[in-house]
Amino acid sequence: MATVIPAEEALTTRIMARERLGSLWRHPILRAVLKAALTILAATTITFVLIRLLPGNPIDLRIEELTRNGSITYEEAREQVATIYPIDLDKPIPEQYLTYLANVMRGDLGKSFLSSSVSVTSIILAVLPWTLFAVGTGLLLSFAVGIGLGLLAAYWRGSFFDQAVSTLGSIISSVPNYLVAILIVLIFGVQLQIIPITEMRGAYSAGIQPGFNLDFIGDVLFHASLPITVFFLTHIGHWILSMRNATLATLEEDYVVAARARGLRDSRITTAYVGRNAALPLVTQLAISIGFVVGGAVLVEQIFLYQGVGLRLLRAVAQRDYPVMQGILLLVTVSVVVANLAADLIYSKLDPRIGHAS
Amino acid sequence: MSALARGRRWVIPAPLASVAGLIGVIARRPVGLLGLIGVGSFVGLAFIGPLFVPLHNTVDIANVYRTPSFANPLGTDFQGRDVLNQIVYGGRDILSVAFLAAFFSTAVAVTFGSLAATVGGKVDTIVLAVADIVLTVPQLVVLIVVAAIFRPEGFFILALLLASLQWAGLLRQIRAQILSLKEREYIEAARSLDLGLFHIIFREMLPNMASYVAIHFIFAMTGAVYAQVGLIVLGLVPLSGANWGVMLYLAQSQGALYFSDSFWYILSPILAISLFQLSLVALATGLEDVFNPRLRAGS
Amino acid sequence: MSLLSVRDLSIAYRSGRGPVQAVRGVSFDVEPGETVAIIGESGSGKTTLAVGLIRLSGRNAEVTRGTIVFARSDGPRDVLEMDAEELRRFRWGDAAMVFQSALNSFNPVIDVWSQFLDTARAHGLNDPKAVLKRSSELLELVHLDPERVLRAYPHELSGGMKQRVLIALSLLLGPRLLILDEPTTALDILTQRAIIDLLRDLRQKLGFAMLFISHDLSLAAELADRVLTMYAGRVVEEARVEDLFYRPRHPYSVGLLKAVPRVSGELGRLASIAGTPPDLVQLPSGCAYHPRCPFAIDRCQQEDPALVAVDTPGHTAACIRWQAVAEAVGTRRPAEALQ
Repeated sequence: MATVIPAEEALTTRIMARERLGSLWRHPILRAVLKAALTILAATTITFVLIRLLPGNPIDLRIEELTRNGSITYEEAREQVATIYPIDLDKPIPEQYLTYLANVMRGDLGKSFLSSSVSVTSIILAVLPWTLFAVGTGLLLSFAVGIGLGLLAAYWRGSFFDQAVSTLGSIISSVPNYLVAILIVLIFGVQLQIIPITEMRGAYSAGIQPGFNLDFIGDVLFHASLPITVFFLTHIGHWILSMRNATLATLEEDYVVAARARGLRDSRITTAYVGRNAALPLVTQLAISIGFVVGGAVLVEQIFLYQGVGLRLLRAVAQRDYPVMQGILLLVTVSVVVANLAADLIYSKLDPRIGHAS
Repeated sequence: MSALARGRRWVIPAPLASVAGLIGVIARRPVGLLGLIGVGSFVGLAFIGPLFVPLHNTVDIANVYRTPSFANPLGTDFQGRDVLNQIVYGGRDILSVAFLAAFFSTAVAVTFGSLAATVGGKVDTIVLAVADIVLTVPQLVVLIVVAAIFRPEGFFILALLLASLQWAGLLRQIRAQILSLKEREYIEAARSLDLGLFHIIFREMLPNMASYVAIHFIFAMTGAVYAQVGLIVLGLVPLSGANWGVMLYLAQSQGALYFSDSFWYILSPILAISLFQLSLVALATGLEDVFNPRLRAGS
Repeated sequence: MSLLSVRDLSIAYRSGRGPVQAVRGVSFDVEPGETVAIIGESGSGKTTLAVGLIRLSGRNAEVTRGTIVFARSDGPRDVLEMDAEELRRFRWGDAAMVFQSALNSFNPVIDVWSQFLDTARAHGLNDPKAVLKRSSELLELVHLDPERVLRAYPHELSGGMKQRVLIALSLLLGPRLLILDEPTTALDILTQRAIIDLLRDLRQKLGFAMLFISHDLSLAAELADRVLTMYAGRVVEEARVEDLFYRPRHPYSVGLLKAVPRVSGELGRLASIAGTPPDLVQLPSGCAYHPRCPFAIDRCQQEDPALVAVDTPGHTAACIRWQAVAEAVGTRRPAEALQ
């Protein structure tokens, strides 16, 4: 009776396993999820390295600080720090890493240096939604309006409208967003006094009850309007130019000419045949921009004193509250990764050519 | 001269063969010309200006926040010092750091991007994965946290810090460009003649990408200016002296932002930075003309 | 009366170097149910002509002269005088044009059924059930499974399938004229055969007239009733298909025929036409073909000949030396002539 040689069997299993992994990798949605997970893992690792391993890292510094006063011993200082950071300082480094990882997965990012009863996670979650709201709204608005203007600019190529819109768009986009913010405060707030900047500070006015009522929502929008305007202005140029180029390219496509040959109405062609095809690749760009804008939002928030995660980060920097700083870094990265993932998934739904294992 | 070297002549677009030719092409479009003039003016202002104009450092309380006049074309600051003078001196550090940062990130992006594209396989996957991760992380937040923890001193370190996050976007694009160039016939020819990896990258592909790389270098500079000034305004970079960013930092920290008299003091560095960014973008747009028709004609 | 009557049509493009005269004074008719082939090299103006018939020539093109009269159900109408709405209905409703590669004729992000429905709706047929019924019938006529095809996205279909779908779609509104630009060029040889047979079959069943543009003479031999050869924007010969193949009277037609290899086995001598196509901005004086013509004499450099009737009925050629050509060709197969 023929017996299967063990080596051969092992080889077959290995090949089959690799095949299965390979097909996992090839499936676009799973791959996107995998990449997102890997990125978060990498960000967590980098944060760990930053706070623990590099010379001059906060943990060592804190221990030093505490012992320098002479009031507590080294061991006690270490213990104190250990309660603040979710790390067990006695174990070897690789184990510290794994514990840190496990804690982060559970949502435990440690406690604030200043008030050791308050968890970093709760601090951040209180402010993160405001930033995401302002950034998200500003970006989406600039995308929607920019796409429309870009489409028109392409259709009316060479006209005054086209030149004006394209030039203005690129000029405003070149100015750093925080400078636009300062200019708004400077010109409209201080010089011309049109905008009541002092009243608009903060995410919402003091004394108003948060809740899903019209007053609150109106108030929130009032306070968020300036940051949203800045994000809107500094990004619209990019969408206008990208959409303009994409539309010009799409107009040359055979299927657009073929659609006209079939007697389709111009309105239908513009929306479903030109517009959709031109705008589709820009959706992924939208997702990638979220990452950049969240980063740049820090300064904008400071200028408008808008209480989002950026402003909180700056306060943490001023107070040398390292746990909060790292927590923000990690959570912001996670938000960006999740946003990218969401965009990838939405894109794969919108474009029928993606996601087909052919 | 070998046949290949002779054949290579037509592969490098003629205008790139000389700087004068390059300037000629850029100047053909008004945008490019404006950009060139703008960038040139700022470089001159920042590096040559200080050679002719002494730094006015004397404090003159009587002259605080004067509006523009013949003696002070941009007014005076909170200590009575001339603003224009500070603008002239204020560009040097910013431009130097921006240039250095752009240089580092472009060098890394070109080297590893072309390596990943030409070698392919595992190397490519790893490089791409790292680039993707770096690309996803929000730059300014990382810079703020790192700057807050480690307090970078000196602008070489600052440039390195800025470059460390900027290379990823450039790398992806250079890799994509090389991947498409890889299919061209003259590369196949070079490969079949077994000319070696370095020769292929540096002597066949890169000359064709020169203006492409130049454009990205310029955009890297704009990114570096953005990040740099941002960090300075937040007070995270210990720079002092006349510096556009420091002027804004001082205005911010003293609440001068809400003070109506300080208008010119604040507006001047903003204009300087914005106009410089604009000139860079215009220059890059002018360069686009150089690489678009050439590369398309070569296909 | 003729279904399509083109008279003295001239179309020029604006270019940096001056106007490119792509179509110069072309006249021909297409009778109901007839198949006419327009054969020429690239740059002969044939595609400009075809696209110009439904006024899709693009931004830089301009019709400088001529009329395109189409016999609609409510009477003859000059296409060049139609307003935007009339033109929209005319396109596809009366004359359907199928472009060179169906590969990119469909919107990639919309499924096939929606594109059928879009077309129907644009022409006032708003009942999805009726449209579905008609679409399915047509898809079955082109030997495709409606269930599978209508649900699919364009990228899920093969090149040959897409060509069939496009043909089915072109018949959706029952047009009386089908214009096809290089219908088989982008396809492999087996699919070419299938499409040719399909067109012949459909024509017989549905009775539409066909006008197709190609550089492929064998296609004309298979499908056409009459053939026009075009050179440098002009029609240089017009004949019934057998007359063109066995009794060509213009040197260009002879050249085209000689350039086609024969499958019958003899190697013979393949000859391409000497010289290069003319510059349409600066045409040669007199007859545009004279620089490449083996029959040319001095007079050919001065006179630009009009189409004249030659020795077989319904046969015209734009050559002052057609009799010499006739002699050279004789009654033998043209490929052997001029050896």
